[in-house]
Amino acid sequence: MKKLLFVGISLLLLVVAVGCSKSESVDGDGQKNITMWVHVSDENEEGKVYQKRVEVFNKEYASDHVEAKIEFIPRSGNGGGYEDKVNAALTTSTLPDVITLDGPNTAAYAKSGVISPLDEYVKDQDDLLPSIKQQGTYQDKLYAIGVSESSVGIYYNKKMLQEAGVDLKTLPTVDSPWTWTQFLELCKTLTDKYKKPSIDMQLQAKDEMLTYALTPFVWSAGGDLISKDGKKADGVFNQAATVEAMDFIQTMLKKGYTTRTPVKQAFETEKYPMKFSGVWTVTDLKTNFPEVEYGVMPYPVSPNTKKLVSPSGSWQFAMTQTSENKEWSAKLVDWMTNKESNIELSRSIAALPVRFSSEEVMSKEFSEQMNVFMKQLKETGHARPVTPAYPQVTRAFQQAVDDISFYDQNHDIQKVLDARAKEMQTAVDKAN
Amino acid sequence: MSRMGWKTNGLAYTVMKSERGLRGGIHWKDNMIAYAFLGPALLVLSMFLVIPAIMAVYYAFTDYYLLTPDMRKFVGLDNFFNLFKDPIFLKSLLNTLKFVVCVIPLQVGAALGMALLLNKQRRANTFFKVAYFSPVVMSLVVISVLWLYLLNPNEGIINNALRNIGISAQPFLTSPKQAIFTIVVVSAWQGAGFQMLIFLAGLQNIPVDVYEAAQMDGMNKWHRFIYITLPLLKPTSVFIFITTLIGAFKLLVQPMVMTQGGPMNSTMTVVYYIYQTGFTDRMVGYASSMALLFGTIIGIVTVAQRKLVKEDDD
Repeated sequence: MKKLLFVGISLLLLVVAVGCSKSESVDGDGQKNITMWVHVSDENEEGKVYQKRVEVFNKEYASDHVEAKIEFIPRSGNGGGYEDKVNAALTTSTLPDVITLDGPNTAAYAKSGVISPLDEYVKDQDDLLPSIKQQGTYQDKLYAIGVSESSVGIYYNKKMLQEAGVDLKTLPTVDSPWTWTQFLELCKTLTDKYKKPSIDMQLQAKDEMLTYALTPFVWSAGGDLISKDGKKADGVFNQAATVEAMDFIQTMLKKGYTTRTPVKQAFETEKYPMKFSGVWTVTDLKTNFPEVEYGVMPYPVSPNTKKLVSPSGSWQFAMTQTSENKEWSAKLVDWMTNKESNIELSRSIAALPVRFSSEEVMSKEFSEQMNVFMKQLKETGHARPVTPAYPQVTRAFQQAVDDISFYDQNHDIQKVLDARAKEMQTAVDKAN
Repeated sequence: MSRMGWKTNGLAYTVMKSERGLRGGIHWKDNMIAYAFLGPALLVLSMFLVIPAIMAVYYAFTDYYLLTPDMRKFVGLDNFFNLFKDPIFLKSLLNTLKFVVCVIPLQVGAALGMALLLNKQRRANTFFKVAYFSPVVMSLVVISVLWLYLLNPNEGIINNALRNIGISAQPFLTSPKQAIFTIVVVSAWQGAGFQMLIFLAGLQNIPVDVYEAAQMDGMNKWHRFIYITLPLLKPTSVFIFITTLIGAFKLLVQPMVMTQGGPMNSTMTVVYYIYQTGFTDRMVGYASSMALLFGTIIGIVTVAQRKLVKEDDD
C-alpha cells in the first residue's frame, strides 16, 4: 500500500509538471472569454489604467456574453520576464488571445505568425498617428496598435541658460528648429560658462535608448539603418548621411560638450544645464525635482536637409494567431488603444496619446513642455525599422555609437560603420 | 548519471539483504521503495537538467528560432561552421580566455595570501575573516552595481582618490583596453574570500610539529613555506584551482551589469553571447551549438588539468 502511495506521488508530480492545458475559450453556455497578458504590474499606474479599462469593456459588452480577463506579468529591464513567458507559451501553444509587445518586435512576431493582422476588424485607422501605424505595420498589414506614444527632446534649465547670457526667446521650436551647427554654438556658450559638459546625451546607456534617441540624427541627415524593404543594411547604414550624424555626436564628445560618463542626475540636480531625454523625465522632474525650472526644445536638425525627425514608439497591443475569438480579440485591442483609454493613460502618466482625436483633448491639458513633445511627435515622429532582425540591427547600431565615442581610437567613422553594416546585413539576410 | 545512482543504491540494498542472510537476486518488488524514494529527485533532475541538456545537443544541429518552435529543421553542422566565421563569438572566446588566465593567479594568490595572514590565532582575525568573506555572500549583481559606482570616472571614490595622489582619472570600464582587467580585479576580489576559507581549513590541517621540527633544523620562514606549506596544501590547491577555473569560464553577471559586453565587445564573454543569441536574437539553435562547443572546451580543459595534476603526483 505504501509503495503504491509513493508511486502515486511521483506520478502526481509528473502530471502537475506536464499539465497546465489551455483553458477553453468558449464556455458551454456561449460565454466568450478573452484572455489578455500585459507587461506591467497591477500596482503600477499604467497597470491600474488597463485594469479599469478592461472592467469598463466587460460592462459595455456584458449583453454579448463577452468577458475579458487581464493577467499582469511585469517585465524586467528590456522585456525579460514577460517575453520569457510569451516564448514559453509559444512552445506549449498556450498563448492568450491578446498580448502586449514592444514596438520593434512587431516584424518578428508577425513574420513568425505569432500575431494576426487587424485590418479586417479595425476599420477606423485614420485616427491613428502615422508613427503608430508605421510601427505596427509589417508588409502592408496592421498587426499591432501602440498604447501610448513617447518622444525625446532636449530639456534645458531656464535659469542656467539665462545666466550664461542666452535669450530664451531665441531658442528653437518645432516650426523653426536649429541646425547642429547652431546647437554646437549653444553648447560652447554653456560649456565655456560652466566648465562642464553642457548636456547629458545618455551615451552611457548601452541599451535601446541609444537607438531610440540617436537614430533621428541619422534620419535627419537623410540616412537610415536599413532599406525600406528591410533587405539591405550594407550600403544603407554606412552611407554618408550616417557618417555625418555620427560625426556630429563625435564632435559633441570631442569638444567636451557631452560625455560618455556623465555625473548621475546632473541635470536634475542643476549641474549640467541640459539633458537629452524622453517624455518620461517630465514625471520624474515633477515628482522628485519640482524646484527645477525647465523648458523643452526639439531635436537639432542636419544643416544639409534641415529636416526635423523625432523618435517614436512604445509597447502595443496585438491579438494572437491562435485566438479563437478573433473578432472580440481585435475589438479588445481597439478598445485598449481607443480615445478614452488614451486619455486616461495620458492623465495618469506622462504618455503621449496615439490618436488625433485623443491628442486634441490632451493638448489642452498638457503643460507647455509636454506640448513640445506632442507637436514634435505628431509632425515628425519616425518609428524604428520594422524587421525581424531588429535585435541584431539595434545592437549593431548601439555598438557603432559606442565605437565612435572612443574617438581617439576610432576616428575613422566610415570604417566603424562599414564593419557594423556588415553585421547588420548578415542578420538581415538570415531573417529574410 | 542517474543510472549510476540507481546502481549504487541497488548494490547497497543487496549488501544489506545478504547481511540479513537472505539469498537470491534483487527483486523488482523489493526495490520499489528505493525507486519510489528516488523518483521525485530523479524526476526533477531529469526534467530540469538531463532532458534539457539532451535537447540542447539536438537543438545545436537545428535552426530553431524562438518564435517558430514548430518549424525547426535539422541543419547538420551548419551552426558550427558559422560559429568559426562569427567574429563576435571568436572575440568572446578570446575574452573569456583572457579573463580565465588573469583571474586565476590573482584570485587564488589573494586567497592564499589572506589565508596565510589569518592562520595565526589572533583576536582581530575573526573580524578580518568576516570582512574578507563578506563579498562572497553578496549577490554578484549587487557587487557589480557597487563597483560601477566606485569606478565612475567622475564621482567614483577610486578616481577621486587617484586624483588626490596626482594620477589622472582612469576609464576603468569605458576603455576597451582596461575593461576586461577591471572585471578581473572585481571578480577576484569577490571570489577570493571563499577560497580563503578553504585554504584556511587546509592550513589548519597541517600538523604544527612539522613546522617545529623544521625550525629546529634551521629552516627559515620562506623555506618552511616552500617546502612544507605548499606541498601539504596540494590537495586543497587542486580543488580550488579546478573550481575557480570552471567558475571563471562561466563569467556572465559582471560584464552583463557593468559593461553590457562593451566597449567594442571587449568584455563580451561566451556565456553572455550565448544568452544574447538565444534570448535576445531568439536564435536558440545557434546558441545551443555555441553552448555545446563551449561545454566541450571546458570539459577538455578540466580533464587535461586533472591528468596533469595526477601525473605530477606520481
